[in-house]
Amino acid sequence: MSSNHMNLKLKIWRQKNIAAPGGLVDIDAPGISPDMSFLEMLDTVNERLQEKGEEPIAFDHDCREGICGMCSLVIDGRPHGKEDRTTTCQLHMRKYADGDTITIEPWRASAFPVIRDLVVDRGAFDRIMASGGFVSVRTGGAPDANAVPISKHEADASMDAAQCIGCGACVAACKNASAMLFVGAKVSQYAHLPQGQPERNKRALAMVAQMDKEGFGACTNLQECEAACPKGISVRVIAEMNRDFLRASLLGAE
Amino acid sequence: MEEDVVVGGNAGLSRVLERILHSTIGLKAVMALTGLALVGFAFVHMAGHLQMFQGPAAYNHYAHMLQSLGGIKWAIRLGLLAACVLHAVAAFKLSMRNAKARPVAYAKQKWLVASIGARLMRPSGAIILFFILYHLLHFTALLVGTAGFVDVPFEQDGVAMVNVYQHMIVSFQNPLITVGYAVSVALLGVHLSHGIQSSLQTLGALNSTYRPFVKQLGPLLSGLLVAGFVAVPVAILARVIH
Ligand code: FES
Repeated sequence: MSSNHMNLKLKIWRQKNIAAPGGLVDIDAPGISPDMSFLEMLDTVNERLQEKGEEPIAFDHDCREGICGMCSLVIDGRPHGKEDRTTTCQLHMRKYADGDTITIEPWRASAFPVIRDLVVDRGAFDRIMASGGFVSVRTGGAPDANAVPISKHEADASMDAAQCIGCGACVAACKNASAMLFVGAKVSQYAHLPQGQPERNKRALAMVAQMDKEGFGACTNLQECEAACPKGISVRVIAEMNRDFLRASLLGAE
Repeated sequence: MEEDVVVGGNAGLSRVLERILHSTIGLKAVMALTGLALVGFAFVHMAGHLQMFQGPAAYNHYAHMLQSLGGIKWAIRLGLLAACVLHAVAAFKLSMRNAKARPVAYAKQKWLVASIGARLMRPSGAIILFFILYHLLHFTALLVGTAGFVDVPFEQDGVAMVNVYQHMIVSFQNPLITVGYAVSVALLGVHLSHGIQSSLQTLGALNSTYRPFVKQLGPLLSGLLVAGFVAVPVAILARVIH
């Protein structure tokens, strides 16, 4: 073990299942290399737990390269940890110092129930997407480049919104557990494209209705979501969604 | 999904109301519109008070003019009442919903960017509501804090007017009333430092061009409002107005 390895103390939320009560448990994490990612640190801790015959800590992950949105974790009170615009899987242990205590909690929202330890059910996001987060078009063959007239500005606005990986950090960061940054991003990515126009009213109405049904809170414009978003989605998407929803509502659109 | 269909008639209208009053964004829009209307009133109210600096005749005449508006006065009063009630009821409903959305608190939570004003919306709003009630009982209904108010009307050119000027001077010579007023008005400023920009964002009126500008404009306008309101009691305490 090289000398720059760190010994950390973890306070981790452990919960057997969705119905069981949970609590913060102290776990030591000795011999952590600064080159590890945060998830690799947890892997190391889990290996040691398994060697001792204990249950490993359950946490979500998939790509481990910051693009899938599966990893989560509120680390020391901040979704995805202390580094701006970085997912937990891309956070490195060199950001921590020997002897640090790190508190690790799951996303907290009634719409995201904890299934086990740090894993929450983000199915609510899937149901919101299914309610209107798509365009109903026959795609046919791949269209020629530039066949659809659209300005660079509009294309950029759509692409910026489409960067959302649906991780749920916005909900986790919001004191109201509001999903408006996520839903706003999904509404906005289509609202800026010609393909999104025919269903624009319907989409805003359906996705907001589903968002409300899932029990997410209402936005109070604190903008914590934008600050916590690993992809830096701007709150402008919330203003755009509100505009689309209010216009569609006032029109009595169906 | 099919193309959008717009439904007219009564069915359409009840759907509009249903969507506005039963959705988070609709309720937020109600809060934003009523909030902005009340901000507009606050500015007119503040500008009216500044006439205290022009002496008893000017101020009493202004108050008298407002009182003689008759039907218009009552329309404005009802409008303000409706705005306050809608604003408070929507705030209450949304707050309940928000509390339910986060039933388990974090053991540790960090604020990243939220301003003090944004974090204090509920307590500041609640205190402002109590202040408004007291303020109405005090200066409008003349039911509390009226010690020292003279009942002798202020007369000029044969017109007898309530001596509101005198009421104001006497009230702000009472340190308790002055401090309560200053604290409440300061909290109004704190509330609006977030409220103004938040309303415009909720209504979808902000884009990347205007957001940074309004972010500074909101606190600036709130500061002006507080300064205007506090100027009168300060001037009374300093005996600039007497
Ligand atoms: S695991 Fe895919 S984004 Fe972190």
